Amino acid sequence: MKEAIKFDHVNFAYQEAPIIADASFTVVPGEFVGIIGPNGGGKTTLLRLIMGFLAPSSGLIQVYGATPSHAQKHLGYVPQTIRFDKQFPISVLELVLGGLLSRLPWYGFFSKQDVEKARQSLETVGLADMEKRPFGTLSGGQAQRALIARALVGDPELLLLDEPTANVDTRVEMEVYELLKRLQGKMTILMVTHNLNAAIGLVERVLCVQKQITILSPKQVCEHFTLGLYHAPLIKLPSSGAKP
Amino acid sequence: MIDSFVTALQTNSLLLSALIGGLASSLVSGIIGSYVVVKRIVFISGSIAHSVLSGIGLSLWLERAKGIEWITPLQGALIAGVLSALLIGWIHLHYKQREDSVIAALWSIGMATGILFISQTPGFNVELTNFLVGNILWVTPDDLSLLYWLDGVILVTVVCLHKRFLAICFDEEQARLQGLHVDALYLLLLVLISVSIVLLIQVVGIILVMTMLTIPPSIANIFTARLSYMMGIAVAISCALCISGMAIAYHFDWPGGATIALTAGLLYIVSLCNSVWKFNK
Repeated sequence: MKEAIKFDHVNFAYQEAPIIADASFTVVPGEFVGIIGPNGGGKTTLLRLIMGFLAPSSGLIQVYGATPSHAQKHLGYVPQTIRFDKQFPISVLELVLGGLLSRLPWYGFFSKQDVEKARQSLETVGLADMEKRPFGTLSGGQAQRALIARALVGDPELLLLDEPTANVDTRVEMEVYELLKRLQGKMTILMVTHNLNAAIGLVERVLCVQKQITILSPKQVCEHFTLGLYHAPLIKLPSSGAKP
Repeated sequence: MIDSFVTALQTNSLLLSALIGGLASSLVSGIIGSYVVVKRIVFISGSIAHSVLSGIGLSLWLERAKGIEWITPLQGALIAGVLSALLIGWIHLHYKQREDSVIAALWSIGMATGILFISQTPGFNVELTNFLVGNILWVTPDDLSLLYWLDGVILVTVVCLHKRFLAICFDEEQARLQGLHVDALYLLLLVLISVSIVLLIQVVGIILVMTMLTIPPSIANIFTARLSYMMGIAVAISCALCISGMAIAYHFDWPGGATIALTAGLLYIVSLCNSVWKFNK
């Protein structure tokens, strides 16, 4: 089976500072992978490399057998809600239609089918009655679900989530994980999280990103990790690049 | 006041042309200004507006000192505006570290170049004052036809590209992931802004142009949370400001551009106070 993601001895540095060093791993289609690591460890850089927004200094990255920039049509991306301007005048439906821009004809009007598809996506995340609401007026959990709807509307094969439960309370966090559980198996999911405790039941493997990338199974993630500590030498780890 | 203004419009074709020119400019100020406000590129737009003086100065110098008559100050402004927009856009895309300093430098260089050319131009340069503080009565029939053409080009472009512009204003990463040519769209948006600035300079002048580009959309943003509605409301506010400002200016014999800009500023302060009062209620 063709890998969903393949990293082969990938290095990435901002100017002279190495961010990702000699990373090699694969992710198979349908897998749910959690990404953990300290702040500044390279988690978001890893996602940006997969999306083709950054080019590696050396090594090979493939997404569904193609270079990342040629595989963007396979991707859905859920960023953190905190980076958006709450005053920005955009409705929830307009936001979700942003996931179908690649289909927008030159004259700039979405087809009825596309609008209907956006509405269905909102229904999937439980926001069917909020399509006219301004995005900035949604609660943290609703905003996160709206962004997930945008990522899902284009039927992606690979869903990337950057801390989807940051800045939301425990109840909303559970709602988001419940939604992701329903998507599990239907697509490949990579999720950056700071709270692996809550997500440990969902993920099949964990990538610990701390310049180097260590691959672990949930069983191997000891208490240190679930507490949010990243002391790799304290636990018995497989060598970097090995797939459990 | 209104009656005497309406009577003057019926009898004075110059005033009527000026009003039509003002309304034509209001159309783009509401639409393009909304992108400027939501994308938070007011500083960049200010730099483009002031760089335009270099084109005006050069064209006046070519016309008066070198006898080249086919280029008008409006055409010079348009060329300088588009070139500045492309240059500033390139700096934004490729030189982010010192972007604000470089843009501020271009702002000054553009104005300084314009002033130097004008100082070398023979004769009394009434055009300079008109371009700096605006003189809507100075709009010629040729300028009006150019205004209509540019209005049409901007409207058609925005209708076709609005959803793409919305995407790059709200979330560039998502737009890029969807295969949009984000950098090209950004440069195009800056070019449209520069064209709008040249149109608005006719009404309020270089010094006050940012008022008309930012205040109507900022007021509109208080009343709506959808960009397309915001544009419609901003156009209506801009037209109302143009008409009321001209009527006040006519009645008191004040400069038109400054009166329109001051009316806009006062309306914005009232709108802000009203929204703060409602929020605290």
